[in-house]
Amino acid sequence: MMPFTLLQTILVPALVALVILLFRYRIGKKAGWVAVSGLIYTTGLLLAALVHIYHGGPVIERYTILSSPEITIHLVADGLSIAVALICNLLCLALCTYSIKYIDHRIEILYPDLDEKGQINYFTSFFYLLLPFPVGFMGVSFSADLVMMYFFLEVLTLFLFFLMAYFGYQDRVKVAVMCFIWGVFSALFFLGGVVIIYSQVGSFQMDQIHLLSGHPLAFWVILLVLIGFFAKLAIVPLHVWMPWVHAEHPTCIAGLLAVYANIAAYIIVRMLVLPLWDDFQVFGPPIMIFAVITMVYGSLLTLAQTDMKRIPACSTISQSAYSMLGIGALTAASIEGGLFFFLSHIMGKTVFFSACGLVVYTTHIRDINRLGGLATKMPITALLFLSGGMMLAGIPPFSSFAAEVVMFAGIFERGDNLGLIIGIIGLVAILLTISYAVHFTRVIFFGPLPEHLAQDDHVRDPSWIMVAPLVVIVLTSVALGLYPSLIMNLFEPVISGYLANM
Amino acid sequence: MDIQLAWLCLTLPLLGVLATPLLARVGTTVMTYGAVFFSFLTALSAVMMLPLLFTADVLPLESKILWLSTPITVTFGVLLDPLSIIVANVVAVISFFIMVYCIGYMKGDPAIMRFWMLMNAFIGSMLLLVLADNLIILFIGWKLVGLCSYGLIGFYYRDERKYWIGGPEPNAYDKPSACGVKAFIVTSVGDMLMLGGILIVYFYSRTFNILELYQTAPQWFPLMAETPWLIVLVSILLIAGPVGKSAQFPLHEWLPEAMSGPGPVSALIHAATMVKSGVFLIARFIPIFYYGYWTAGVEEAMYFFLIVAWIGAITAFLAASQGLVALELKKVLAYSTVSQIGFMMLAMGVAGFSQELLVKGYMAGTFHLVSHAMFKACLFLCAGTVIHAVHSIYIHEMGALRKFLPFTWLFMGLATLSLIGVPPLPGFWSKEAVLVATLESQHYLLFTVVIVTVVFTAFYSTRYFGMIFHGQASDHLRKETDKPHHHVGEGYLPQTFACGILAVGIVTFGLLGPKAEHALYSLFNTQLVTDLGMATKTFTPVFSTSLVVALSIGSVLIGVIPAYLFYFSRTWDVNAVYERYAFIRAVHTFLWNRWYINALFNWIFVRGVMQAARAVADKIEVAVDGAINKKIPAGVFSVAALSNWFDQKAIDGVVDGTATNFQNTGSALSQMLSGKIQDYLAVAVVVAMLVGGVTWLMIR
Repeated sequence: MMPFTLLQTILVPALVALVILLFRYRIGKKAGWVAVSGLIYTTGLLLAALVHIYHGGPVIERYTILSSPEITIHLVADGLSIAVALICNLLCLALCTYSIKYIDHRIEILYPDLDEKGQINYFTSFFYLLLPFPVGFMGVSFSADLVMMYFFLEVLTLFLFFLMAYFGYQDRVKVAVMCFIWGVFSALFFLGGVVIIYSQVGSFQMDQIHLLSGHPLAFWVILLVLIGFFAKLAIVPLHVWMPWVHAEHPTCIAGLLAVYANIAAYIIVRMLVLPLWDDFQVFGPPIMIFAVITMVYGSLLTLAQTDMKRIPACSTISQSAYSMLGIGALTAASIEGGLFFFLSHIMGKTVFFSACGLVVYTTHIRDINRLGGLATKMPITALLFLSGGMMLAGIPPFSSFAAEVVMFAGIFERGDNLGLIIGIIGLVAILLTISYAVHFTRVIFFGPLPEHLAQDDHVRDPSWIMVAPLVVIVLTSVALGLYPSLIMNLFEPVISGYLANM
Repeated sequence: MDIQLAWLCLTLPLLGVLATPLLARVGTTVMTYGAVFFSFLTALSAVMMLPLLFTADVLPLESKILWLSTPITVTFGVLLDPLSIIVANVVAVISFFIMVYCIGYMKGDPAIMRFWMLMNAFIGSMLLLVLADNLIILFIGWKLVGLCSYGLIGFYYRDERKYWIGGPEPNAYDKPSACGVKAFIVTSVGDMLMLGGILIVYFYSRTFNILELYQTAPQWFPLMAETPWLIVLVSILLIAGPVGKSAQFPLHEWLPEAMSGPGPVSALIHAATMVKSGVFLIARFIPIFYYGYWTAGVEEAMYFFLIVAWIGAITAFLAASQGLVALELKKVLAYSTVSQIGFMMLAMGVAGFSQELLVKGYMAGTFHLVSHAMFKACLFLCAGTVIHAVHSIYIHEMGALRKFLPFTWLFMGLATLSLIGVPPLPGFWSKEAVLVATLESQHYLLFTVVIVTVVFTAFYSTRYFGMIFHGQASDHLRKETDKPHHHVGEGYLPQTFACGILAVGIVTFGLLGPKAEHALYSLFNTQLVTDLGMATKTFTPVFSTSLVVALSIGSVLIGVIPAYLFYFSRTWDVNAVYERYAFIRAVHTFLWNRWYINALFNWIFVRGVMQAARAVADKIEVAVDGAINKKIPAGVFSVAALSNWFDQKAIDGVVDGTATNFQNTGSALSQMLSGKIQDYLAVAVVVAMLVGGVTWLMIR
């Protein structure tokens, strides 16, 4: 395997961003393809790491920055982190490709008076502001150090602010500030937990957290970090930022925002559930109850929406809670299923969001009551929207079905009445997801085509640059749905193996 | 080789799906015949499995690969046993003839590629459901048929006026896209609950494999029974899936609206195959619960059979009663389908009522499934031809069509006679088997319900047939036939051919009815008793067969005669009766409104959920959002303002005040600094006297 593989996955997008920034006028409109090239390269690296992990075990890289005082970068890729990193990177790649056309169009609308140089300035800035996302996701996935993880979480928050403030919709600056504050709120609670861990363990290393197990302060660490991440995951009642933010950001990064929110589920498992297994038990039932409330609440909220961009926003509230339901049930199967659902959800949400984006991009209409019958002129977009909905609703052959089966099998495996009741309520709650998926498909794409859309020649399926990345994600989800062992075999040594050895 | 046929059955239709867009590049005709050819190969593979039924001792056959090994174990495999072979043949063979019919029916449709892809996808998914060797793979097939059904019900998604169903004016209409949504959501209610049931069973049994579930039942079933009411809960959850998919009460309301799809879709999915999957699945579950009650002695297991039987009987009666007044041809047939599936469910339910009835009830349910699939597919295909010819979905806009559609009259007539239960057609034999099983269970209320349903069936069947083909031509029909170059006549050759083949099949199957019944009994006896070791007793009838036959034929006559007088000979005037009796009008209104169940469900679930959604969005969310996103920042800004005030008034005040005081003091003191030495000396003397005086007082 190539040396410094994990480090490269973090540094290469950062360097590409720097290159785009420095040579923006020379690169011009090719900045999107430069960014895509960088991400193709890192995807290749991640695939190589995946193969290595399948056959040889974890990849560990340690780089000493300073010997006195000792400052090191410690990166670990095991079955869990490589799966998360690979899917996140794939989504970044897909959305970066999707954005090439989208953002050009968006700049034309947002800044119509710009000269060519100004347009290039904004166009390139989108990509050098976008590339820190894969940096952040890779960093969060591979960090074996809590401070580094905090750093990468803040990187995500910071660049999300800029992207939204520059390229969002009407209230973009105000909502970008709101999003930033929520991100900082979440990170500060996380930092609070980290500081307590350091005070007791004397280390920021993740593999040392277990030393806190059984300590009275472990409860407070878990509580602090959970509050912070409940906000990030938009668990009711800390969900109120999500609809605002999703309504204002540029649609081409919507999928990334779903990853930004949901990656907290991965961190919770890494940082809290596995190392502090016994201390975490007391949090299981409340998490399940909050999760199931959020699932129902988020779905009902979604059903009531009429704004194209708020539909997937509210859906994210509901869907993020599925992963937490699995994690809260605290069985190996439920946790693995919950994390698999996280990956399936971010794929589904990327397709769902981006299909909404295609409609807004093409029609310039956000109010669904003014839409209808679009399948006639946009059949591929309709199919993508429906596929995204089905991916969220856990309909086979998409991977979310396998994830749901594993997760709910794990929930029932608790063997108690809580697991039984919440499991059944959770399954019934999926009905609401199915309902809004088919309901919105009907309202937006079926029925007669309104006159203003029928006569608009611009209303048609967008170019392949926008469609192809989404098709790739759909096919990836189908592949993982047809053969879920690809993912579950990666999770097994990390989670089932870990729990079996306890 | 035998088991490979099952794999072929699964893969061929799916290959057909992938091949269709490629063939479309060559030409529409090539694509059409290509799609049908794949379904032919599928049917051929299924038929080649039939010889296995004659050597039933080699069954069951199973082939599987590991699909998921951790954290739960799921295999992907196929299972060949008498039940799966029979149902797979029903699916594959009838599908093929329906595909042949579609060559004519769908000719010229601009979305024909989508149609063929969905049809082959449906056939493949249905066969996956039937041939799956474990419950998760079966569930995948189960969801996929639902998805294909959604796509095919809403096939005319543009909702053009001519594809609306419901009505006639002033009654409300339903659009195809809404009908697809309704079907998908309502069936999903059952699906999700069933998945819960399957996963709870897995928790106790540690397997999804159907054969292993049977074999290990002695270990896990008593374990599950240790939790009070869990068996009842699991029974309800597992039954919910079949109830939804087979449109049984209370999840039956989607099927009438599912008729908005193309005619052959109704024949394939909503008559012959998908709606039968619920009965098939109940048959799959029966050995588990039968073992639980009759061998393990778990009392709660009987609830499974009671629930199934009662749901079947109630549905049969309820749907048949709605068929009495319906005016849309396909809806009449839809109600009829719901009702007839109720018969099958009833038979499956009574199979567990006694040890003598297991094989009898199981056989009766399956026998009726097969015969009904044939005659109802034929009926729907003929209905498609009739609707196509007349350009109306309403039977009161037809009449006297016999001379225009003689072949369709013949084929539909045979199928209708079979539906009514006229000997020697297969409907008679299979219905008689259901009646025998029900009567022998000695649950007389169930039997009474089902006998009344036979009367209703005979009435509505005679009614629609008379209104379509006999009596006077309606005004609408006269207008149609008055048009030059009108199309009131038989459909394309493939349509007539497919209906004809099915009609020949009905007659042949009817003539072989008693032998088929005997063969099925023998097969299921081998499967359930010999292979699975179910504890049964030899069936010794309490009631004579002639009594059942007499009751059956008598009920048919009670239904047929008045319907004949109303709708064939028109000796009785149905309108006069309607106008004369308020009671009849009240019953008609009640039945026309589908017992108000649809309206009630709409009110509770559709309006209720949407109102809940609005309440969440408009009330709770606004309040929470206001509290967190507005009040907290407002609070923070208030604290900031307070802090600002404190800063300005308190801190700045103290600092400024101190400075001012010092300044004032300094200023005052500076007044004292006059620069005159005499003043300084005077002050020094005064201070010295004060200090000296205080010191003296302290010392003293």
